[in-house]
Parts: sequence; C-alpha cells; structure tokens
Amino acid sequence: MSENVLEVSNIHTFIGGFHILEGVSVRVPIGAITVLLGRNGAGKTTTLRSIMGITPPIQGSITFCGIPISGKSSNTIAQMGIGFVPEHRAIFKELTVLENLQIAERKRGDLARKSDFIFELFPDLKRLISLPGGSLSGGQQQMLAVARALVPDNRLLLIDEPSEGLAPVIIEHMIRAIERLSADVSVLLVEQNFRVASKLAQNYVIIEEGQSPAQGRISDLIKDEVLIQRYLGVA
Amino acid sequence: MSVTGTLKTTSAGFQWSAWLKSNSIPLFILAFLIAFPFIVGQMTGSSPYGEVRGERFIMRGASVRWQSVLIEIFILGILTMSYNLLFGFTGVISFGHALFFGSAGYILGLSLEYVAIDTSLGLALGVTLGILFCGLMGLLVGAATLRLKGVYFAIFTLAVAEMFYIFASRWQLTRAEDGFAISALPAWIDPAQSRLNFYYIALVLFALTFLFIKRLVHSPTGAVLKAIRENEDRAQTLGFDTLRYKLFAIVASAMLAGVAGLLQVILNKKVGPELLSIDYTVNPLLMTIIGGIGTLWGPIVGSSSLFMLDIFLRDSQFTVGGITVNMANIWGLLLGSIFIAAVMVFPRGIVGTSQQLWLRLRAKGAESPPKLHGAPPDQ
Amino acid sequence: MRSSRNSWLTVVVLFAALIVLALLSANSLGSFGITILSGLFQGMLLFLVASGLSIVFGLMDVLNLAQGAYFMIGAYVAYDIQHAGGLIDVTAAIPDPNIRFVFAVIGAILVGAGLGMLLERGLLRPLYSRPIFQLVLTFGFSLVLIEIVKAVWSTTPYSWTEMFGIREGFFELFGQRFSTYRLFVVGAGFALIIVIGLLLQRTRTGIIIRAGVEDREMVQALGINIKMIFTLVFTLGCAVAALGGAIAAPFLGASITLGNAFLLQAVAVVVLGGMGSYGGTAVASILVGLAISVAQDVAIGTNFAALSSITPMLLLVLVLLLRPSGLFGSSR
Repeated sequence: MSENVLEVSNIHTFIGGFHILEGVSVRVPIGAITVLLGRNGAGKTTTLRSIMGITPPIQGSITFCGIPISGKSSNTIAQMGIGFVPEHRAIFKELTVLENLQIAERKRGDLARKSDFIFELFPDLKRLISLPGGSLSGGQQQMLAVARALVPDNRLLLIDEPSEGLAPVIIEHMIRAIERLSADVSVLLVEQNFRVASKLAQNYVIIEEGQSPAQGRISDLIKDEVLIQRYLGVA
Repeated sequence: MSVTGTLKTTSAGFQWSAWLKSNSIPLFILAFLIAFPFIVGQMTGSSPYGEVRGERFIMRGASVRWQSVLIEIFILGILTMSYNLLFGFTGVISFGHALFFGSAGYILGLSLEYVAIDTSLGLALGVTLGILFCGLMGLLVGAATLRLKGVYFAIFTLAVAEMFYIFASRWQLTRAEDGFAISALPAWIDPAQSRLNFYYIALVLFALTFLFIKRLVHSPTGAVLKAIRENEDRAQTLGFDTLRYKLFAIVASAMLAGVAGLLQVILNKKVGPELLSIDYTVNPLLMTIIGGIGTLWGPIVGSSSLFMLDIFLRDSQFTVGGITVNMANIWGLLLGSIFIAAVMVFPRGIVGTSQQLWLRLRAKGAESPPKLHGAPPDQ
Repeated sequence: MRSSRNSWLTVVVLFAALIVLALLSANSLGSFGITILSGLFQGMLLFLVASGLSIVFGLMDVLNLAQGAYFMIGAYVAYDIQHAGGLIDVTAAIPDPNIRFVFAVIGAILVGAGLGMLLERGLLRPLYSRPIFQLVLTFGFSLVLIEIVKAVWSTTPYSWTEMFGIREGFFELFGQRFSTYRLFVVGAGFALIIVIGLLLQRTRTGIIIRAGVEDREMVQALGINIKMIFTLVFTLGCAVAALGGAIAAPFLGASITLGNAFLLQAVAVVVLGGMGSYGGTAVASILVGLAISVAQDVAIGTNFAALSSITPMLLLVLVLLLRPSGLFGSSR
C-alpha cells in the first residue's frame, strides 16, 4: 500500500478536440491537503474532472488507493470513495437543502450518521434545511456543496475553488471548515487565492499550460519567490 | 509567397486549369445532369422531348419519366439544402420549414388561379410574391429568435407552421382539404408541355442553390454563422450582431425553401394542404441528418439517396420461398429500419462519416494515432 | 420566487378567460358542464402522452418522437385483450368485461414498458452524446412500430364494441347526461398526476430525477448510475403513454393514426408548460384541453371550424411570445 491516496501520472485529456492536459502528474498523500496552483485556464479544473472521470483522460494512469480508476465511469469512481465539490457551487438549485444532502447518500443512513458533524461545521444549513438551494446566498451554496461531499464516507475530496467570489468573513469560515474536515479525509484542492492556499495546504502542485512542472511542500514554495513569480505571477 | 507574386497571378487572369481541377467533381456531376435526359433517351430508345403526336409532344417514355424523378430530387435537394443552411451551418433548429415551402406554393397557385388575364403575369406575380412572402415570414419568425432559444424556437416554428396548415386545409379560398389543380401555365415552363424545359429550369435552380450555399459557407458571413452554431454567446462577445446574422440565415433559408415549393407546385400542377404538412419539415430534417449535418454535400446525398430508395423499392416485389412480398406493404418498416441503421452506422451522416474516415485513413499514413490507455471513455 | 408568481398569474388569467368564454358561449349550465368535462377529458388524454415526453425530455434531452406510437400500441393491446378473436383471446377465461378491461389496461402497460425498455437499452443508449440523432432514431422506431401494428392487426381501424360497466354508464347533472367513462378518464388522469408527482417529490428516485434534470454530470459524480435512471424513466414514460392509449381506446377505438394525432399537441403541451417542469406539463395539458373544448363551442356559433384545431398552437405561440421558456420553465 502506497502512502499516497491518489496518484495521477502523466495524463492527457482532450476536450472537444483540444489537447487540454498534456501530461499532468499529481500525488496526493494520505491525510493531508494538497493544492493545485496555477493561472486561469492552466488545466486545474480539467485535472479534477479527469480524476472524477467526467472528462476521462485518453492516456496516462490514475490510481486511487492503489486501484487504477482511469477509464471507469464517474459514478463508479465516486462510489469508490471520492467526493467532488465542483466550481461555481454546482448544487441543485431546484432541490431543497435537505434533498441536496439526501441525494449524496450512498448507503441508507449516511446522512443520519453525518448530520451532527455537518451542522457543526455549517450551522447555517440547519436553519435553511427546507429552502430550495437556488434561494441560498453564494456562501451558503458553497457550504452546501462541501457539506454534500461529506455525507457519504469518502477517502478523498476534490474541491474546486472554495473561496471563489466569497466575502472575506465567509472565506475564513470555509478555511476553518476545510481544516476541520481534513482530519478525517485527504483533500485535493484547487485554489486561486494564494493566501488561502498557503494557509490550508501542506503540499502543492503547479499546473501550467496543461502540465505539472513543479510540486513539493508548500512551506518550501512560500520561500521560493522565483517559482511563485514564474508560475503564479503573485508575490 | 511575395506580395508581387500574388498580384501577378491574379492580374494574369483567372486560373482556369486550377479552378477546373479543384471543382472537377461538381462540374462532372453537372455535365452528367445536363446530358442525363439524352443519355437515358439513348439507352432506352425514347425521346427526351416525349412522344410526337401530330403537332404536339405527349409526355411519355422512359426519358421523360426519369426527368420527373430527377426534378423531384432537385426540389427535395433545394429544400434540404435550405434546411441545412439554417440547421447545419447556423445551428438554428426549425420545425416549421414546411411553412415556407407550402406558402410559396399556395401563393403561386392562387396567383395563377386568380390573375386570369395572362398566365405569364400570373406566374411572375406568384413567383415574386411567393418568395417575398417567404422572406417576410422568415423575418417575422426569425425575430422570435431574439427571445426564444433552442427547442423553444423549434416548437414555436412548428406551431406557426401547423396553424398555416390547419388554416389552408379549412379555408374556402384555398379549397380546403381538396386543394385545387392549376389549369394554365406558360408553355415554356409547363412540365405537361415540355418536361425537358422544366427539367433544365429545376436543374439551374438546384445548381444555383448549391453554388450560393457553397460561396456563403466559405465567405466571412458563413464563418460568423458557423461561429454562432458553435457558441452564440462567444460570437456575440466577439462583437458580431448575431441576431442580424441569424435573421439573414433564416430569410435566405426561407426564400430557398420557397423556391422549392414553387417548383413542386409547377411540377404537380396542384396545390393542396399537404404542401404545408409536417412531412415537408420532417423529410428535409431527416435527409439532412442522414446525409450529414453541416456538410455541403450531405443534403444532396441524403435527399437523393432516400428518394431513389423510395422510387426503386416502394413498388418492387420480391419472392422468397414461394411467398411474394410486396415492398409497398412493408415500406414503413423498411424506411424505419433504414433510419435506425443510418443513425447507428453513420454517426455523422453519410457524408460526414465518410469524410471523417477519409481523413483518418490519410492521417494513419502520416503518423500513428495516440495510444489509448485503458477503456475508451464511455459516454 | 417572483417568476413563479408570474407563472401562476398567467395560468390563472388564462383559465379565467377560458371559463368566461365557456360561460358566454354556453346556453345552459348543463352545456357549460359538458364543455368543461369534455375539456378536462381531452386535457387528460393529452397529459397521458405529454407526461412521459416531459420527464424524458427534461432528464435526458431526448424528444421521443415514438411517444405517440406507444399510445397507439396501448390502444391496440387493450382492444385486443378486451375483444374476442384477437391475438390474445381471454373472453372465455375472463367472461366479465369489467375485469377483462382491467387486464387489458395492465397488458397495455406491460407491452408499452417492454417496448420502451427495448428502445432505450437497445437503440437509444449509444446515442446520448448525439442528441439530434435521437430524433431520427425515435422517428424511425415509430415507423417500425406502426408497421408492426399493421402486420399484427391490419390497417383497418377498430371501434370499441365490447362494452363494460363504466363505459356504458351515464349520470345526470344540471339536466344533462354525462358519460361516466369521461369522468373516469378525468379521475384517472388526476390520479396519475398525483402519483407521478408524489414519486418525483417524495422518493429518492424522484430526487435523483429532479436533480438529473438540472445537472446530469453532477448526479453521476455523486456516485449515482444515471444510466439506470434513464432506462427507468424512459420505460416509465412509454408505459404511461401505453396506459393512455388503453384508457382512450374505449372512446377513440384503435387506429394507426391515433398516436401521431396526439404527438404534435403533446409536444406543444410540454413546451407550453415549460421544458423539464412536470407540474407545468400537467397544468398545460388541462389548459389546452379546456381551450380546445371551449373553442369548439365558440366555433359552432361563428361558423369557423378551424378554430378548435388551431387553438393549441395559437395558445402556444401566444404564451411563448409572452414567456419565452413556457409557463413554468426556468430560463436557463
């Protein structure tokens, strides 16, 4: 058994005839938060979607807990224990908060077992339980999207841009929540906000033009101004 | 390539040999179609002008019969090409194409019926008004795309066309369900007096439609239409007034469908509500899909192959083990199976899939394709 | 919230207008009642074709052009089981025509479901990535179904002769005789609206279907096998259409033109209600049924026969111009 929960090696993904990922490799160690960094359009979201099997890679391999998963359909991949929190808070707007959580159950009783933990992390959701998802604020929708991924027993969460478009107070709340939940589950995060990323993650992978030129420990990256300047354009 | 070099070649005049070479296939087909009545005449020993009876020709014989078949293919071809212009190149799905086809036909029929002074005047008026009306209806229906998107627009056009159909089949002026026969046409176009003339008229319009769409598709306007098909929002953010382009496509498509309707009425010398029926929407739609959406040749291949199949198979019989099967009885079964099979075998239509295979074969010669890892994506 | 209030406002105004028109053209309370009942009857028949169409389109983006053919098959199967001398002759085994009709309806549902599953599993599945081709496929399949019906039952239309209790019964209200069977169809339609509504609102499968209408990809990424749901929903849609044919048959008989006569109006109803909105389809069915019935009444007075047949399309065009996503459609 390797100590990485997820190993993505050299995957190539095409979308609509465009070669989006040209050899991305990502390792996610057990029990840690790994962040994908990089500019807009670099291929971070496509990497998550390729792992999930939504845009399957045509080359390269992905193993989850030692089992190859590339080529499997996304529901099979999810069943194996990967939770997906897509960008733009893709919750079901016509469904109530409760229904949004119920639909994520994989076994009967999942929600009953997890609801205390979920409502402790996101107390707002309890109050909004019977409202349709579309009537929630942006921050509340984001909380629901993360909460939804916590309902079943997952070994890995893929979270795409949790802080995007949120107010600073809510970002702080989200950071604390992700820190809390990462005690039980490994996390692969996409985060544009470098401050948030460096606060949360232990490891980083840089995605640049469909490739992964650098990865390592985030504590090393913070000191490496050249690398930050070159790939992230922020200081 | 230097600038002066380019200038020289253009100033030296049109390069006929290159043009002939790059257009050899359509030119060959055109030449064949021009000679067709005479070729069939030679092969069957019948006159392309029909049989002589005293002073007049009677429209009989193999050549004349075959001219009718081809005229119908030209008409369906024009209709399907017009449909493809909208559906295949612009990405606008209309379920109301019969509206344009049929209303142009009705207007011509009414004009010939009620402008009794002179059949030529009746014809000219009918043709002009018919096509103008189609353009106007195209503009009105097209204005709805401002608000209605995708399926909503498709069903909207279906509803408008159905209203016309129901109206025409109940209205006294159009003789309701029965429709009416056209009694008089100018001799030069009347297919009952000279099928050959009408054959060439239809051929010219067919060829012009093809040429128009070919030029349009390769023009800057065509590029914008295709951009709208791929992603209308992006085309809009690039600064194109997409509504105007869509209106242009709808109006052009409507007028071309009107031309097809005019030809149909002249050929059959009859006007009836069936011209407005949903068949004239469904047929070009299916023919476009089976031939190849958004390809130049798809509509022609789709409409001619399906029509030929109909002609050849529908009235044929065959005997298996002493049991004679009349194709007309199982025609629907056959046609349905063909639709299903075509969709399964030709995922991009006949032309689209052939082109794809051809490109893949050529690419195979050049370099080996990327190796697939694991199972191919299932979707 | 505001848009949903507008939806209901539009619906209420349209219904009110229809009721007023019906009252104006009726010469007695009895004839008004007949207009309303016949409108509800036609609305329910429409709903039986449209409901399957609506759910399937909402979830799978497939406009099933064979839906009308399933309605037709349902009518033929029910006719066959009810009457002597058909393919399945159970008149000897079940002499009571009332009980036989129950079996006729069940038989139609089973045949519809079986053929629906066949179409989805066998033919439609490879085509989910190419939505427009599904039009050709389902259209082709409807031609094949019609041809099979021709081969089995010939082209001659059948009219229903084997009567049973509720088909013959009448009741009197406001001095007018009403057919019990029409009332039965209306009741069955309402029951079905409620049953499917509960299925969608209250069960886990219903939650998945509603979520799938919004975002199929995400449903799958949650670990749900959406393909199984597709098969289920498609089969259900076809079974409901066949049920519709079966309970329409005692009134309309069985003929090969039966299916497509309803299909066009059913498509109009689905769009009128708003794509993907099941409640919208139910409301629009009743609305269109009433509108046809009222227009028939008005047309008698004005000597304009086309009015009633034009009504569904006219209503659709007007509503779409006012509300581009139909009555309850979300403007995605």
